[in-house]
Amino acid sequence: MALPKVPLWYKDAVIYQVHVRAMYDSNGDGIGDFRGLAEKLDYLQELGISAIWLMPFFPSPLRDDGYDISDYRSVHPSYGTLEDVQLFLRAARDRGIRVVIEMVLNHTSDQHPWFQESRSSLNNPRRDWYVWSDSDTRYRGARIIFLDTEMSNWAWDPISKQYYWHRFFSHQPDLNYDNPAVREEMWNVMKFWLEMGVDGFRLDAVPYLFEREGTNCENLPETHGVIKELRRRLDENFPGRMLLAEANQWPADLLPYFGEGDEFHMAFHFPLMPRMFMGLKLEDRKPITEILQQTPKIPDTCQWCLFLRNHDELTLEMVTDMERDYMYDVYAHEKAMRLNLGIRRRLAPLLDNDRRRIELMNGLLMSLPGTPVIYYGDEIGMGDNIFLGDRHGVRTPMQWDGGWNAGFSSSDPESLYSALIMNPIYGYQSVNVASQRRLQHSLLSWMRRLLQVRKSTPIFGRGNIEFLYPDNHRVLAFVRQFGEETILAVNNLSASAQAVELDLRRFKGNILVEMFGRNIFPRIGELPYLLTLGPYQFYWFRLRRI
Amino acid sequence: MAEDNILSDDLLRQLISVGEVDILVGLHTHNHAKTIGHMVQVIREGLLKYFPRERVAVLNADGGSVDGTPELVRAASITDLRRENSFYTLRTLHCISSQYGTNVSNGTAMHIIVAAADLLRARACAMIAPESSEIRPDWMDQLLGPVYRDNADFVAPVYRRQRFEGILVTNLLYPMTRALYGKSIREPRPGEFAFSDRLASRLVGHPMWSQDAGRLGPEVCLTLEALAEGHRIVQAFLGPKGQAERPAPDLVAALRQTVGPLFWSMENANGAWSSPAEAPTLLTIGPAFDVGTDGTANIDLARLHHLFCSGTKDLESVLKSIVSADTLSQLQYAASLDQAHFHLSDELWAKAVYEFASAYRRSVISRDHIIQALAPLYRGRAHTFVTENLNAAPDALGERIEALCVTFERFKPYLLELWSAPERGS
Repeated sequence: MALPKVPLWYKDAVIYQVHVRAMYDSNGDGIGDFRGLAEKLDYLQELGISAIWLMPFFPSPLRDDGYDISDYRSVHPSYGTLEDVQLFLRAARDRGIRVVIEMVLNHTSDQHPWFQESRSSLNNPRRDWYVWSDSDTRYRGARIIFLDTEMSNWAWDPISKQYYWHRFFSHQPDLNYDNPAVREEMWNVMKFWLEMGVDGFRLDAVPYLFEREGTNCENLPETHGVIKELRRRLDENFPGRMLLAEANQWPADLLPYFGEGDEFHMAFHFPLMPRMFMGLKLEDRKPITEILQQTPKIPDTCQWCLFLRNHDELTLEMVTDMERDYMYDVYAHEKAMRLNLGIRRRLAPLLDNDRRRIELMNGLLMSLPGTPVIYYGDEIGMGDNIFLGDRHGVRTPMQWDGGWNAGFSSSDPESLYSALIMNPIYGYQSVNVASQRRLQHSLLSWMRRLLQVRKSTPIFGRGNIEFLYPDNHRVLAFVRQFGEETILAVNNLSASAQAVELDLRRFKGNILVEMFGRNIFPRIGELPYLLTLGPYQFYWFRLRRI
Repeated sequence: MAEDNILSDDLLRQLISVGEVDILVGLHTHNHAKTIGHMVQVIREGLLKYFPRERVAVLNADGGSVDGTPELVRAASITDLRRENSFYTLRTLHCISSQYGTNVSNGTAMHIIVAAADLLRARACAMIAPESSEIRPDWMDQLLGPVYRDNADFVAPVYRRQRFEGILVTNLLYPMTRALYGKSIREPRPGEFAFSDRLASRLVGHPMWSQDAGRLGPEVCLTLEALAEGHRIVQAFLGPKGQAERPAPDLVAALRQTVGPLFWSMENANGAWSSPAEAPTLLTIGPAFDVGTDGTANIDLARLHHLFCSGTKDLESVLKSIVSADTLSQLQYAASLDQAHFHLSDELWAKAVYEFASAYRRSVISRDHIIQALAPLYRGRAHTFVTENLNAAPDALGERIEALCVTFERFKPYLLELWSAPERGS
């Protein structure tokens, strides 16, 4: 079955982010695989998501969870074969689910044959596929991203006796995008997967493709040239496919990545995410409204991608020092919860497993302008394990039921790729899909309903937003409009009940219809519209003139 | 509840929007447009510097300003609609203002602020006098810190006074308060002070607010209430206070705002001062006494002397009903001396003040007349104090005030005797 041709499908999408390894193990080797993932597509369809974003599944030494790719045209043997991928893609398409895959443009693994050739001699034809130097003093303006592990962006190669450039781990040498052959080859890699049927790419670490002396080596004009070229080829050869940027930047700095609608279709809105958590803890809408006020308008065909949590740490790069200190104190009081400039925790533990706060944050995720991404397991409130290294604590196996290995794998528990979450609060015996499916009021059931309501109208994905500024700063209220349709969202960010008066005079005569229960609220008149909200409660109202 | 009546619907709506706070700063204005803008900016800077994470709000109770004072206060808000480029804040900072009427009353204004602090459950509330021109951001830390962080209930200020600034305080309020409660509260009539949520909840329904004492001199009543109830009190040195250029109240008005509330509080808390309970040690942050070297007395000593002499003579019949025959005789003797030899001793002054307090309690005549009758005596005392200390070094001045305090303390048994004496005619 072919997917409907909706050019802007990504605007209406709800994306589910998952690692193949973590979803379901079909062959009992302790590691999730493509066949297992295909088996769980019914679950994802039932949840109501419309796209899957797969983290890297390519052959890799797995020293950075697959972001260190050693072969772009194959599948890591633990996850299956190319045939398994094709099977999965067909099954997803049959269920109306699109698939976005990861594409790490910036660097490869140091085990990639390209790098092995490159380092083999100064005269190797692939020598200038990477960035080499006799000195480690070039590009001093570039910051070090992995502060906890790396001392420099240069690493010494004892084989060819030169330094190579790496913005991330030293085992991830950066490709040299000044070399046309590299650019051509990366397009060929993308073409390979597009022809297989993927619907788009999340391009990893985009801002760092080029290096120029006297700059911070981020967001350089040459990078945009590469993106424009990739986009042009994509549109010409594979219309309807999508490019999503991973660029942890301020919104104004991200704007160029949309170009004039001729670069990325979507980009993650990184600074919004920590501010949603901050606003919740402060019980103050200011951090959220301020960052969205600073968010520039993007071309009509483009879209922000929103998320609460993902496979990385909750990054605090795009906050002030004062905000970062605050976030650490309130969300990561234990040192083990911190990593680099961020917090390595899942959604539910971040929110103290408070169902009301989890619902509110998901409600915001689904109603603010953009395409939401749900990180696997967050729909059932999975926990994390801060004692696992790096970011592995948020990448544990999906908890399907309370039985053997959480229903994830039939292997011996010792052979699982990661330990299961087993504590009394978040352990798989308590938190799992099977038990939540049975309960009408479980988080999973609630999430399904939330997605249903979100998908009942295109307004959330496509409408504009206008903030109301009631005097009560604990209440975040905004109006979304698209065509003739208007929706009012009112969110209480506080732990206590709140009263709020909204100036809705311009909608005078409309009645409010609450979108979850479809109950009618009083007609809007001349006076301020008074609402009361319970702790962390939110309303979505459709405005109707009857 | 008292706050049901004291808070207007308009203010209540604003307080609903502010919600629960950790810290509240109260202002009480009336046509302070010239200075209030700067003052609110400084307060805001201090709050953001010393309490960047706390939920803070500024509340102005305005007595009907027509010069735009409330608008200037509101303009200092930091919200998502009105951001500040000069510094970044984590939170919304509400600066709200409410008019309580057209009759200016510090008592009403402070009652509103106390009620709001109680309603918003502010852990610490600071009151700032709108004419304090020397305000600095660190005042917020000095005043609010001991309450918010260290569990104090009341923070009284210590100012750096010029030599003859606040003679009424140094010669009456301070020594008498110290004699009553055994605590060296240097400023029993503070322009700035802070109090805890515990104290706020006690104060909000206090009878002072319905009395002249509370209406005219709420600062004195609040300080004495904190003393009387044995709350944990801290003094914080704020440095020079300064005064915006506004006409000073006349002496009788000043007495009504200070001595009246003092006498009323004595009556209201009789048991507390007659045998003060053990209370926590008074902690002072910074110097407990500091006098500037500036400020040569710009005081008309001849006029003070003249008004003492004429007042003692003109009010003889009134004074007869207030002070003892011995005291009246000593006052009349003093009035007979020329200015060069005039002297109103510490002993005579302390004794006379205590007799006034006793007369006030017994309401031998109209209480307001008693307060007014103190004016000439105070002038005589001021004359003596200035004359004695014209060339005194700061340390010597401190020793003189200390000696006066000791005299007030020495005469306390006399006060107790007067206080417990049967009513005349009974």
